[in-house]
Amino acid sequence: MNDTAVDQMYAIAEQVFSAMIDGDVGPLQPWMGDVPAIVDPIVGWVDAHGGWTGRAALTTSRPVAYDLTRALLRMDAHEEVVMEDLVDAYGELVNVVGGNFKALLPASGTLGLPMVADTLPEVVGAVPMEGLNLAWRGHLIIVSIWMFG
Amino acid sequence: MTLTTDSFDFVADLVRRRSAIQLERGKEYLVESRLAPLAREAGIGVDEYVRRVRAARREADYEEVVEALTTNETSWFRDAAPFEALRTHVIPTLTQERGRIDRLRLWSAACSTGQEAYSIVMTLTDVLPGTPVEVLATDLSTQVLERGRAGRYSQLEVNRGLPAAMLVRHLQRVGAEWRVSDAIQRPVTFARHNLLDAAPAGAPFDVIFLRNVLIYFDLATKRAILERVRRVLRPDGFLILGAAESTLGVDDAWDRIPVARGSVYRPASRVAAPPQTAPFVAAGAAPLSGTSAFPNIPHQGGHR
Amino acid sequence: MKALVIDDSRTMRRIVGSLLEALGFEVHQAGDGQEALDLLDDGLEVDLACIDWNMPVMDGLEFVTRVRANPDRRQITLMMVTTESETGQIVRALAAGAHEYLIKPFTPDSIRDKLELLGLVGSEELV
Repeated sequence: MNDTAVDQMYAIAEQVFSAMIDGDVGPLQPWMGDVPAIVDPIVGWVDAHGGWTGRAALTTSRPVAYDLTRALLRMDAHEEVVMEDLVDAYGELVNVVGGNFKALLPASGTLGLPMVADTLPEVVGAVPMEGLNLAWRGHLIIVSIWMFG
Repeated sequence: MTLTTDSFDFVADLVRRRSAIQLERGKEYLVESRLAPLAREAGIGVDEYVRRVRAARREADYEEVVEALTTNETSWFRDAAPFEALRTHVIPTLTQERGRIDRLRLWSAACSTGQEAYSIVMTLTDVLPGTPVEVLATDLSTQVLERGRAGRYSQLEVNRGLPAAMLVRHLQRVGAEWRVSDAIQRPVTFARHNLLDAAPAGAPFDVIFLRNVLIYFDLATKRAILERVRRVLRPDGFLILGAAESTLGVDDAWDRIPVARGSVYRPASRVAAPPQTAPFVAAGAAPLSGTSAFPNIPHQGGHR
Repeated sequence: MKALVIDDSRTMRRIVGSLLEALGFEVHQAGDGQEALDLLDDGLEVDLACIDWNMPVMDGLEFVTRVRANPDRRQITLMMVTTESETGQIVRALAAGAHEYLIKPFTPDSIRDKLELLGLVGSEELV
């Protein structure tokens, strides 16, 4: 039984979301159908160096990033999310997902600090590897992996 | 893609009729999540999957749906007490009474996805190193038995009550999962068995684990199960129940022995020995290596 | 019972902290190993420390090593809580003296199970 890399990435995303955010499997599903462009995106990423150099990123729309933050921090639906909370919570989500992705690789390496911004900084020579489109409570979250030259 | 009320009601009804488990409104997310892998395999959404199952009216589909919704999450060394009891009381007692233990045969009844059976082997690897050990792990659900046989668990599953020292010794990371080592898998045989039927082949057993399953039955059935269990347990054997369970008030043919934070049970001395069975260990028998002594129990599949 | 949660992520400190509070612990926090040692040096006494691995200033492995080297701190149960999941890393942590190891992500049940194994919480009676 050979799981593809995408299957493994999905399994990881499912576990991270069910354990840290939703309390059960269910709200996170594979995205079905066309993938629309993300309006007002927020992207969180973490770079690996050492054995394997590359990047894992999670991109979603700002309101969804705020909802994820609220879920992680167990805040009420209408509580205000300050930038500090967003960067820390969404960053930690990226950190845990990225850390688990890293464990799939044969080479060891270290993860840098997670970063959160509205655009992804470019890395010259970065090669896109896997991608995974997720639906969290119906909202699009795009997972992307790049390898650095 | 999301489950319609109609589909949810169909599934809830099916599950209730076959397992007595009630799925009330509000549990839609649970049904969706448990059926999602099956739907994904078919390449369709969950609601479509349910509609197809309903239309096809195949027994095998119904069983898959019920199984997907009635499997419970299990912990490895759930309630550390039984494994402590094995380590600190059961094995030392048997060793002392018998002089030495040449071979040990255990039964993990209602084994679910197999963590208990593997935890038993891990414990015995420490407490009885080098002694051949055989564990029969039985359950009613073919789905969980397949998982047990595969010996692969997710990260979340290995986080559940498995000491880190055991994790690094006995499992290896494979992709996003962890796999139980061959040495720990080899002594375990998984087989389908219904506790309401006659005892499985492989008797007599030295230790029987029957944890957190009697609670699902009425008093008369509990008594019948305990009686059948006692008949396949060696006269000096041990029965281990779940943390809050007891034979008290159910079956008086057992002696209760308090051990650490729990109890273990042995056939009461006043009860006659069980029917004559083949000698358990022939004198001078060499330890088995690499094979299970259990007869090949036919896979019962979808037949009920 | 008192616990010290050591992680450079406020989110993780909050998540672990609230799980421990629900289990009856009085929870203290630190953002890195040095901060945690300072708290202990200032007189904080705890029964349990949940420690992230990768932190600035002083990482979790260093913190574990320092605590285990101090005979006055023998009674503190040390549990790593980290994304590091390679067998080699887990072995390193246990060799350094960590008593237990929890891989992120974890569920409330997994923390409870581990603490039960360590004897820090009682087993749940099945009703």
